[in-house]
Amino acid sequence: MMKGGPSQEDIRRHNLGTLLRFVHLRGPASRATLAESLGLNRSTIMALTADLTAAGLVREELPRGPGRRAGRPSLVVRPESTRVYVLAFEVGVDRLVVARVGLGGVVLDRREGVRARGSDPAELLGVLVAGARALVRKAERDAVCVGATLGFPGTVRRSDDTIMFGPNLDVGELRLGDALSRRLGLGIPVSVCNDANLGALAEHERGAGVGCDNLIYLHGDVGVGGGIIAHGRLLGGDEGFGGEIGHMIINPGGRLCACGSKGCLEAEVGERTLLAHAGREESPDQPGRDAVRAVVAAADAGDIAAREALQRVGSWLGLGVANLVNVFNPGLVVFGGTLRDIYLGAAAQIRSVMATGALAAPRERVKLRTAALGDDTTLVGAAEFAFAEVLADPVQVLTRLRAPEAVP
Amino acid sequence: MSVTPALDLRGIEKSFGSVTVLHDVAFSAYPGEVTALVGDNGAGKTTLVKCIGGIHAFDAGEYRFEGRPVRIGSPREATRLGIEIVHQDLALCENLDIVQNLFLGRERRRGLTLDETAMEEMARSTLSGLAVRTMGSVRQRIATLSGGQRQTVAIARAVLWDSKVVILDEPAAALGIAQTQQVLEVVRRLADKGLAVVLISHNMNDVFAVSDRIAAMYLGRMVAQVRTSDVTHRQVVELITSGASGELGLRR
Ligand SMILES: Nc1ncnc2c1ncn2[C@@H]1O[C@H](COP(=O)(O)OP(=O)(O)OP(=O)(O)O)[C@@H](O)[C@H]1O
Ligand SMILES: [Mg+2]
Repeated sequence: MMKGGPSQEDIRRHNLGTLLRFVHLRGPASRATLAESLGLNRSTIMALTADLTAAGLVREELPRGPGRRAGRPSLVVRPESTRVYVLAFEVGVDRLVVARVGLGGVVLDRREGVRARGSDPAELLGVLVAGARALVRKAERDAVCVGATLGFPGTVRRSDDTIMFGPNLDVGELRLGDALSRRLGLGIPVSVCNDANLGALAEHERGAGVGCDNLIYLHGDVGVGGGIIAHGRLLGGDEGFGGEIGHMIINPGGRLCACGSKGCLEAEVGERTLLAHAGREESPDQPGRDAVRAVVAAADAGDIAAREALQRVGSWLGLGVANLVNVFNPGLVVFGGTLRDIYLGAAAQIRSVMATGALAAPRERVKLRTAALGDDTTLVGAAEFAFAEVLADPVQVLTRLRAPEAVP
Repeated sequence: MSVTPALDLRGIEKSFGSVTVLHDVAFSAYPGEVTALVGDNGAGKTTLVKCIGGIHAFDAGEYRFEGRPVRIGSPREATRLGIEIVHQDLALCENLDIVQNLFLGRERRRGLTLDETAMEEMARSTLSGLAVRTMGSVRQRIATLSGGQRQTVAIARAVLWDSKVVILDEPAAALGIAQTQQVLEVVRRLADKGLAVVLISHNMNDVFAVSDRIAAMYLGRMVAQVRTSDVTHRQVVELITSGASGELGLRR
């Protein structure tokens, strides 16, 4: 007899979460597949499925699509994508996105707009609220919103979601999540997270890093952000500020960084530096991503200045990655945002520096990949973060949200 | 290396008349990896690939496929083993649509007749499993697709038929940068699915971006097969242009 072990109720909650998480991340699955994958017997799966069905989280139905074989096909457990959803917000330097993402990770609907650099931060909140409201209005009548998360390029204190630092983007409000939650009036809090941390989460759950529990995600917007997944979890550090790879100093006394220091990775490989090396101006009508792509394309077409700019930036990036490989021994390093373009355009330089700078043992196996989720790493990560609560305790959370009058 | 190579060639010799084009060539490609095959113009890359694919018969040498010695007398035999080659002059039919191209010559398989809906669905899911951006209707004619999209369709054919080895001979040569990048990502994903991929390219950024190994040819010889993580750009360029770089390559 075990003392102080988990109660029946704890076990059930854990199993419900595990099953829901499985179909959320891996898609519809038959009871047989679930039993095998989760290591539970069929009758347990049946009971759990019944509970989740009653809560309106999953549905059992015949499989869709081709591949029908002889005999009776077995039912699959499918997440209720249109009835259970989250709101995901991405506030980038050059773009704003709001999406309604269904259980199972389907983007049901999205609103996207460009953001002018230096636009009035006071307007930001209004734009986000209007976008979210429009999405919520289009949801099915019995649909329920189970979470909301906003990703943005800055440092956020985990304990209370306060924005501590975001030099490349003034959002005008340190408690952006609270303000957004109040204006939305859906009765759910809005979490605020660092965009690259969300990117790491997204690539780990749904992108290049599925199955890899030690990975590093590097995100280029104007600045450079990072997210570290160690043992399958996001490394936040003591207060949630961890993973600021962009402010790793790689060139002492080097270029001035927006953070006030000199020679940070961001200062040596960020968008402004690449453009400056290439002799190009930051232009108000060409969003940063396009400007970076233009340099990569010019280098490919033989433009000497562009080529040299990419090589300089590539060297520093290679040095940064070599340090990360030595310190964390990641199985995978993922390049997202503008760093995807820079990686593809300067891979020879980046990997050459790694070959001479990183220790052979951790270097040998590390995979370098571009983000499988393309431009949506932050958005997908925000959605995953927002689903975390319902996945941890599915029935309880749904019951609470479906009966809002019971909440004080 | 304990993993059995998907392709393992040794001592390959090939002459056209009195001209010897491949001398004692060794070459391996592993499942789950991209092997970049590099070398100057005329080094013998395409000839080697055509020997692998059964288009040319080689004069001497050993050819193992998944560890077994094989004799490949025709392209059809290579295809049957699961070796798919995407030649630079893509063998796609311009006037047919995507689905028709994907299923060309294989509409029936193992006695199973596929209906149009099932073929469309398979085409769609194969393509969406490969490309980040969708391709639009699978009923578009090939003639209406961009170069990058055509490459993707050619690659999709390899995936759809459960190939073990996919060889791409300069897939990016005629493409713009955005399309090239997309093809590179598809190539990488293909290897990550477990296939052995061989990529011929003259672009060192492309080679370093996606390869796990680099096989360098020089004047008809294989001068080095190395792990990409162990070499620098400069070393690879030296191997290509002079057949040696420090400890690597031809002994002098
Ligand atoms: N059918 C043929 N008959 C005679 N010589 C040939 C034939 N095919 C190729 N060659 C010769 O074999 C050599 C190797 O050619 P191959 O096409 O394999 O080079 P490659 O490495 O693919 O070059 P590239 O990078 O230019 O495509 C060249 O000297 C070429 O002229
Ligand atoms: Mg050739």
